[in-house]
Amino acid sequence: MNRKITALGMAMVVLYLLLFAQLNRIQVFQADDLNHHPENFRDIERDFDRPRGLVLSADGVVLARTIPTPDSDYERLREYPQGELFAQSVGYLSYEFGAEGVERSYNDLLSGQTPGQTYAKLSDLFIERDRTADVTLSLRADLQAAARQALGDRHGSVVVIDPRSGGLLALWSWPSYDPNRLSTHDLGAANAARQELLADPAEPLLARTYAERFFPGSSFKLVTGATGVDQGVVTPTSPSYPNSDGYLAPGAGVAIPNFGGASCGGTLDRILAVSCNTAFAEMGAITIGPEWMVQGAADFGFNARPPLDIPGAAASLFPTDFGALLDGPGGPNSVYEDSAKLAQASIGQNDVQATPLEMSLVAAALGTDGTVPVPRVMAEVRDAAGKVLEKPQRETWRTAVSPATAQTMRQAMEGVVANGTAKGLALDGWTVGAKTGTAEITGDAEETNAWVVGYAGPPGQPPIAAFAVLIEADPGQGELTGGGAAVPVAHDVLAVLKALAG
Amino acid sequence: MGPVRRTTELGLLVLGALVTAGVYALASLGRSASLPANLVPFLGIVLGLLLVAHLAVRRLAPEADGLLLPLAGLLNGLGYVFIARSNESLAALQAVWTAVGVTAFIGTLIVVRRLRDLERYRYTFGLIGIGLLLLPLVPGVGYEVNGARIWVSIGPINFQPGEPAKLALALFLASYLVERRELLATASRRIGPLSVPDPRHLGPLLLAWGMSVLVMVTEKDLGSSLLFFALFVVLVWIATERNAYLVLSLALFAGGATIAYQLFGHVRDRVTIWIDPWTYAKGTGYQLVETAFALAAGGITGTGPGLGEPGRIPARETDFIFAVIAEELGLLGGVAILAAFLLLVGSGLRIALRTEVLFDKLLAAGLSALIGLQAFLIIGGVIRVVPLTGVTLPFVSFGGSSLVANYVLLALLVRISDESARRTRRREGERAGAVA
Repeated sequence: MNRKITALGMAMVVLYLLLFAQLNRIQVFQADDLNHHPENFRDIERDFDRPRGLVLSADGVVLARTIPTPDSDYERLREYPQGELFAQSVGYLSYEFGAEGVERSYNDLLSGQTPGQTYAKLSDLFIERDRTADVTLSLRADLQAAARQALGDRHGSVVVIDPRSGGLLALWSWPSYDPNRLSTHDLGAANAARQELLADPAEPLLARTYAERFFPGSSFKLVTGATGVDQGVVTPTSPSYPNSDGYLAPGAGVAIPNFGGASCGGTLDRILAVSCNTAFAEMGAITIGPEWMVQGAADFGFNARPPLDIPGAAASLFPTDFGALLDGPGGPNSVYEDSAKLAQASIGQNDVQATPLEMSLVAAALGTDGTVPVPRVMAEVRDAAGKVLEKPQRETWRTAVSPATAQTMRQAMEGVVANGTAKGLALDGWTVGAKTGTAEITGDAEETNAWVVGYAGPPGQPPIAAFAVLIEADPGQGELTGGGAAVPVAHDVLAVLKALAG
Repeated sequence: MGPVRRTTELGLLVLGALVTAGVYALASLGRSASLPANLVPFLGIVLGLLLVAHLAVRRLAPEADGLLLPLAGLLNGLGYVFIARSNESLAALQAVWTAVGVTAFIGTLIVVRRLRDLERYRYTFGLIGIGLLLLPLVPGVGYEVNGARIWVSIGPINFQPGEPAKLALALFLASYLVERRELLATASRRIGPLSVPDPRHLGPLLLAWGMSVLVMVTEKDLGSSLLFFALFVVLVWIATERNAYLVLSLALFAGGATIAYQLFGHVRDRVTIWIDPWTYAKGTGYQLVETAFALAAGGITGTGPGLGEPGRIPARETDFIFAVIAEELGLLGGVAILAAFLLLVGSGLRIALRTEVLFDKLLAAGLSALIGLQAFLIIGGVIRVVPLTGVTLPFVSFGGSSLVANYVLLALLVRISDESARRTRRREGERAGAVA
């Protein structure tokens, strides 16, 4: 019997070695992946009812605060006094669904979990003190409210960014939701609210400003024009595109028409002012060519996820493959298999898709020195004693074009406001440059997204705001044009900004 | 020999108590203060009880193995700290259960002076064992908790009869098999390389298999069913020294498992989430997913006692207590628990190897296998080495039935080891006398 008992002992050792191996696998080799698993809300839950700092707007309005709840199972409740107004930027802190927005990206600072906060000095090992930090955003509550009012109940987005710092001033989209419904201690109600929000076809949980892509339409002509200028193939005086009411790209079956069937043509300032499709289609497809167009779009931030400090920012898209060279030297003035597709892409149709945030970054680059700033909502983090823990400086995400190119484009964009499709944006005493867009989304001319993208500020100085406004197509309500629908919204928001700037 | 072993035992017990108290202190100190100070007396009680158990061994079984009690004490103590840390309201109750367990330990040592005496009651034990195993099925007595019908309620007492049933059945089987081993081993035919037992003697094996299947089907208690079958197989195999029984049992097990998988949703669920809990992270796989996150959060050195987040782990004071320990004490703490169980099993098997009485030998091996397999099943289930079967972690999990049953089991091992050491000494004494 002893031989079998010894064998049993060996078998036990083998079984326990299996446990040992698996324990190592989970706790050592897979630990990092598991700790960052999307289903893993341990850190959020740990912090759910712990002390947590404030989230404040740039103009001092409390956007998120933690209040004690002596009568609840949980010690504290996270509240969002501004409700839906900041839902898609500040986000929420929920027991079951984790956190979103700033609540997620700055969780460690708000809850006092960063190494610097936990053990700032030796006495911290023994003494309890408030370790939380307050996060002040660059977003302004007054501007955000102005955006909400200007947009009304239409689906759409308003993005305003300070191109000098990269700080976002407004980030509003409708529909939105009340984050208090998800952070409540009543977990059943929170669950029901989440189910309802998820089932809502209007997608109120979706942050349209940075997490959803739309056809940019003519507003994309800014990228096409700037790329042409930067490559030296387009100047304010040449080429001068012929007057035309339709551009038939090489290999295309159907000609690209102008808006309303009009005829147009000319040099950069003129074709941008009237948003001439035929001219920009030819500029992208022939004057610039696929390599430079793909590079130019990438230099403005297309085909990459913007480094926004809120989780979930989507990359904007520009096609990268236009087929083999069919005729010509390659690059500019050549014909490719898909030159027709490039012609459409150059006016923001076909497979070009952009987030409102990305279009505001295009305007931010052209409004300043041609560099795209890293977009941020956080302006400053201070600990409970008022000491500044973080205060980011402007960083460059992409160098889109040269300062000279930006200057050339600004001249053209200011022309659009002076005597083009964005006349309604003129503000007394301010310099405003812009570009409108009316993007067909289904092929039905009645269903269009309306855009306006631009910058504004006191004359003779770098602009204090770049913006993108998008009004989404509303089936049955007829065509929405950039000039008709989006420009008035942008005007209202900029007027409030101008009044605030004094 | 005796006094040296007892001194070693005391030293190890104190060491275990220091570890337990240290972990407890860490969990209750610091800024997280997850343990209130008013629980300290209970910890004192638990550690004091272990000292009482040691003094009892000194008197009642002075020559027993010195490793068994300290290992059980360490597991019991650490378990107590993490039960108190996960659920304060259970701390006092677990201290009471520890007291009952230690009393049962001492009581067993007092009552059972010679293991041989128990052999007489083998059929009584057999009947008690089967009766206990099936007790939850009696209407009005047994009831269901979390889908498994493993509890009974008689008057004011609630308990899991599966825990004492294991002991009774181990006693019965060891005794029965010692008597029949010759018959079972010799009556065989050769088929190919295997010598296959005569079909007439397969009866007991099939009976045990049938019992396991019955428990699994009617009580939905995969853990007890599996443990019971494994105990039977291990004992038959050791008693007969025939590998054929092992092969046959594995075939029976595979057959039973396949049929169970086909027929029963709860078995299929366990296998599904064992293979891939992630797809069912919000549903049936929730426990395993949260456990994986807890273990990962612990990493190598752990979050530190009292600094983890056991709140998300379900059944954290019973079946999943290992996850709480491995989160807060990390890989190092988890491996320490594994090592403690392996040492406990090793001590038990060493006792089995040393004793010459066949009944004692078989019983010691069976009891060691029970502890080792039960710990393997639940730890392996929690960390996804095997499909999850709900059994307690011996000495560590919260629960009276399990703690008391395991202390009785420990007392039996202590008694076997003491008897065998005395016999050896007597014989050596006689031999020395003869030489002189």
